[in-house]
Amino acid sequence: MWIQRVGLMLLFLAASGRETDGDLIEEPRKEKGAREREREKMMSGKYTTIDSQKVSGSVPAVPDSGHFTVKLSESNLQPYPPSDARGKISSGSQPPRDADVTFSKSRLGSDEPPQGGWFQMFSIASYKPYFDVDTSDVVERIKDSLFPLRGTFNEKTASNPDLYGPFWICTTLIFVAASIGTFVTYIAHKLKNKEWNYDINLVTWSAGLFYGYIIIVPLGLYVILKYFSVPSGLAQLLCLYGYSLFVFIPALCLSVVPLEIFRWVVAGVAGFMSATFVALNLRAHIKSAGERWFFIVAAIFLLQLALGVALKLSLFTVAV
Amino acid sequence: MSLTDTVPLHASSQSDIDEIENLINASVHSGPATVLPARPPSPPRAQIPPVWDTVKRDLSRIVSNLKLVVFPNPYREDPGKALRDWDLWGPFFFIVFLGLTLSWSASVKKSEVFAVAFAVLAAGAVILTLNVLLLGGQIIFFQSLSLLGYCLFPLDVGAVICLLKDNVILKVIVVCVTLAWSSWAAYPFMSSAVNPRRKALALYPVFLMYVSVGFLIIAID
Repeated sequence: MWIQRVGLMLLFLAASGRETDGDLIEEPRKEKGAREREREKMMSGKYTTIDSQKVSGSVPAVPDSGHFTVKLSESNLQPYPPSDARGKISSGSQPPRDADVTFSKSRLGSDEPPQGGWFQMFSIASYKPYFDVDTSDVVERIKDSLFPLRGTFNEKTASNPDLYGPFWICTTLIFVAASIGTFVTYIAHKLKNKEWNYDINLVTWSAGLFYGYIIIVPLGLYVILKYFSVPSGLAQLLCLYGYSLFVFIPALCLSVVPLEIFRWVVAGVAGFMSATFVALNLRAHIKSAGERWFFIVAAIFLLQLALGVALKLSLFTVAV
Repeated sequence: MSLTDTVPLHASSQSDIDEIENLINASVHSGPATVLPARPPSPPRAQIPPVWDTVKRDLSRIVSNLKLVVFPNPYREDPGKALRDWDLWGPFFFIVFLGLTLSWSASVKKSEVFAVAFAVLAAGAVILTLNVLLLGGQIIFFQSLSLLGYCLFPLDVGAVICLLKDNVILKVIVVCVTLAWSSWAAYPFMSSAVNPRRKALALYPVFLMYVSVGFLIIAID
């Protein structure tokens, strides 16, 4: 009788450690002291990776209340190895989250000294400042890119150029281009009752085009500007070019309409808007480069326009 | 909540707390110890080879993880609970299966279709995880990969259905439904990992990836 009660208590202790839903916390239990409630709080906290908590065994700690520690040494259960992040109960495979803690920790490295200059290119922590934007920031920057004549984009993003926008706008553009291009050829073939097969090269080709454009052109511009001693940050150029590509997304969506003239008009307008956006934003910056600035700006403008035209020709020239 | 309401995890799942509970259960009920993998020396008659036990254990873990992630259960909203026992076999299997299904249903360029599908899914999972990490979110890298892989299960189902029935309207409907299901499965995990002001920034790429995979399923015929 008494033995059974002790056994039941031990079972409660074990079971309550795994449960984190609300009603459990509200229900009063004799055995659950503050200690058990702390354990539950720890378990329902955010995922553990990095900075500030010490990982006690495999119980993830809530990051902002690091003064909790749980010692189960009073119970008859085998205590978790207290501060050994690699402690495991050895019988077969366990979730190797502890290894991941060290993995993520070393990669994010927020409290470790940065590893020598060259390797920093490969650590996440060195790129974090470029992703320090909120949803509202990104939306506002996108809206700014739709009004190319203002020319204020560069100043607004000078202090906080982000790489989130460029990368995901580019990726979205690739997907939209591939899907709209596929859809257009599908419709064209079906209208003439011809056999149609999905061409997967469209995806790979458009990926190559857009990623290539957005990496090579800003890089080239960065080098050229440095040569003319009006250096502009690379991140800022990437940011500018990335957001300038946004206007192609609605343009591609509109180009589904099967009128050839309409498609050319849409492509022209989008290309023009995008090119003006880039050119005007750079003009103020480049003006100090001396008499050559006009050529640089004109070259940028034409290049972007050429991208729009290339897009139109490759995706919407359907040979049925 | 009484003891009998606890989720009956399979005896072979190996997270620590379940370990302890198994030990206690084993000692309380004085049943056979099911946790230790050490096997007695095999008698001379024909045996099921020991590797079967490992495979069975991995399969049951995949199934239990799948149930936690993709199907409604009371622990879904709690990121500390869901996928505590993550593994990478499940995601690997689902990605390869989706690639094979797409490749099977393609009438031309089968190997390229498989390559693109596999690359998009695998690289996509890595990039999505990096995206959350860069936005300042707090997740564990491989756990996130694991979860994104498990959330592909509805799309696998959709791809199989689209393979069997070649009607475009049906494909669109099936893909939309499975897409919504996949997004619903991935949502709690991704949204709780980042700052609420950046939630949309973390969720949009997930949605984008599933939409592009869904599109691939519809378009391949």
